[in-house]
Amino acid sequence: MEQANTLCHDGKSKGGVLAYLERLETGVNRSGKQREELQSAQAVGNALATKIRKLRCLRDKLRAEVKQRQARVKASTTSVDPDQTVEISEQEVLERKQKNVKAILQAYRFTGLSGKLTSRGVCVCINTAFEGNLLDSYFVDLVIKKPLQIYHHSVPVFIPLEDIAAKYLQTDIQHFLFSLCEYLNAYSGRKYQADQLQSDFAAFLAGPLQRNSLCNLLSFTYKVDPRGQAFPFCARLLYKDLTVTLPTDVTVTYQGTEVLSTSWEEQRAAHEILFCTKPLHQVFASFAKKGETLDMSLFS
Amino acid sequence: MDETIAEFIKRTILKIPMTEMTTILKAWDFLSENQLQTVNFRQRKESVVQHLVELCEENNASLNDAALLDIIYTQLHRHRKIWDVFQMSKGPGEDVDLFDMKQFKSSFKKVLQRALKNVTVSFRDAEENAVWIRIAWGTQYTKPNQYRPTYVVYYSQTPYAFTSLSTLKSNIPLLGQALTIASKHHEIVKMDLRSRYLDSLKAIVFKQYNQNFETHNSTTPLQERSLGLHVNMDSRIIHENAMEKERVQRVTQETFGDHPQPQLEFAQYKLETKFRNGSILAEREEPLRCLIKFSSPHLLEALKSLAPAGIADAPLSPLLTCIPNKKMNYFKIRDK
Repeated sequence: MEQANTLCHDGKSKGGVLAYLERLETGVNRSGKQREELQSAQAVGNALATKIRKLRCLRDKLRAEVKQRQARVKASTTSVDPDQTVEISEQEVLERKQKNVKAILQAYRFTGLSGKLTSRGVCVCINTAFEGNLLDSYFVDLVIKKPLQIYHHSVPVFIPLEDIAAKYLQTDIQHFLFSLCEYLNAYSGRKYQADQLQSDFAAFLAGPLQRNSLCNLLSFTYKVDPRGQAFPFCARLLYKDLTVTLPTDVTVTYQGTEVLSTSWEEQRAAHEILFCTKPLHQVFASFAKKGETLDMSLFS
Repeated sequence: MDETIAEFIKRTILKIPMTEMTTILKAWDFLSENQLQTVNFRQRKESVVQHLVELCEENNASLNDAALLDIIYTQLHRHRKIWDVFQMSKGPGEDVDLFDMKQFKSSFKKVLQRALKNVTVSFRDAEENAVWIRIAWGTQYTKPNQYRPTYVVYYSQTPYAFTSLSTLKSNIPLLGQALTIASKHHEIVKMDLRSRYLDSLKAIVFKQYNQNFETHNSTTPLQERSLGLHVNMDSRIIHENAMEKERVQRVTQETFGDHPQPQLEFAQYKLETKFRNGSILAEREEPLRCLIKFSSPHLLEALKSLAPAGIADAPLSPLLTCIPNKKMNYFKIRDK
């Protein structure tokens, strides 16, 4: 009790310790509130300051762009300013040239043999074709080192790439590439003919077309007239040379017990020669045409 | 129809999951459309199988028909077998290979039938001028065991044959002989390459797994490939080991390429070397023998991710990275 009284400064008893503590508390709250208000005011101030900075930045950027555009407009309308126009057209010219060269490089594939430099060496692209039809592409990625190596390739495993490489890769790379082109183009051509026969002239075949990976042995039974008037012939086409697209050996036989009449025998012999001299699908196309002309003669 | 054939067909059809039943039966093409329509495929599997076996009885199924069904099932479930690879070679200066599939099949069958009276050989043509061969082996006195057949997949005019052996070791030389004679090769050798994934073995052996080539026509130039590093573009954050990460990515990409890796499940290294440490073990006369086997659902992808994950140093040991190039996943390492 005595202590509480001695704490009062002005002699008046203001309610003791608890009341004093209350007064202290309200004082702290008041100053806390003031601090908070000050802080929030400061935060708002900072936010506004950054906003101002951003807007100023944007304004400067836009001003600069406007200046640039004005300058460009002036330059394009007044042909008096030679330096700037020369610069722009030079750039355009270079860009056009670059596009041109890129297009030429891309178009090179139509020559059948093209390539692109790589970090290791060169990646050669062989685009095969047959009778004007662009067929599959094959790649050979070469590493330019001594000895020259094939890093990897997309040549099918049944093409004798290792043999050709063993013969020519180290001594005469041109020969290597041309030889490989020969093999791949011939393979593509034979494959194309066999595929065409299976897809477009399936009506003429009496059974499935027998073929192999290299398409260098084809065996099939066919009828000249798909509607069943003709005798079925068995054809066996051998391509002993892997660089050709026409067969080296052709045998056309008749699977039957009766003896062929002379006209059919003549046809058989004629077909043998046909298969030797014309591509497979063209032979069948000529059969189809003959069939059409026969039809026409029936109506005439 | 023989009872054994009926049992064989029944067991084969039982293996087929119901979801694949109609697909496989259609591919088999032995039961007609009308016959298949009489079957209620919603019954319990045993009843369906019973009905199908009765239909096969009607059509008088032969052993060859049953074997064909087995081939089709295996083609669809090829990963259930473990495939080995054999490599054949020709003599030098051979004529051009005029491969005739009919001749190959008859020659193959003849070689086996001449040596073993009791053997069942069946063929099914596949895409890319390949053929699946199924061989059920018997002996001089016993009929062929249809439940442990050997499968061979052969792509014409290539030197490789893929086989799932599952037979006595004594039959393997005969199989090799049949393959070489029928395909007009001279020698055959088993490669140190084995996996469940037949298609991956084919990709490795035919070198078809990397199909990325640089051309002027490619729309995505190789240099612009994202290495997956620069995710966080905030310039205030610096990756301490960014240079090292880039180096590891570069080395990994150079070794493994950008393409998906062929799938293998294991690589096995048989070591027979002397201990090189300066300890007591180095004094041993005999070399130490140990076997190290790496297994993974996708071994090569796992190896590819080791260095970028920080688990191993880049470049990895060439013993690990040479697997697709050397076409082997079984290695024997001896002191030179």
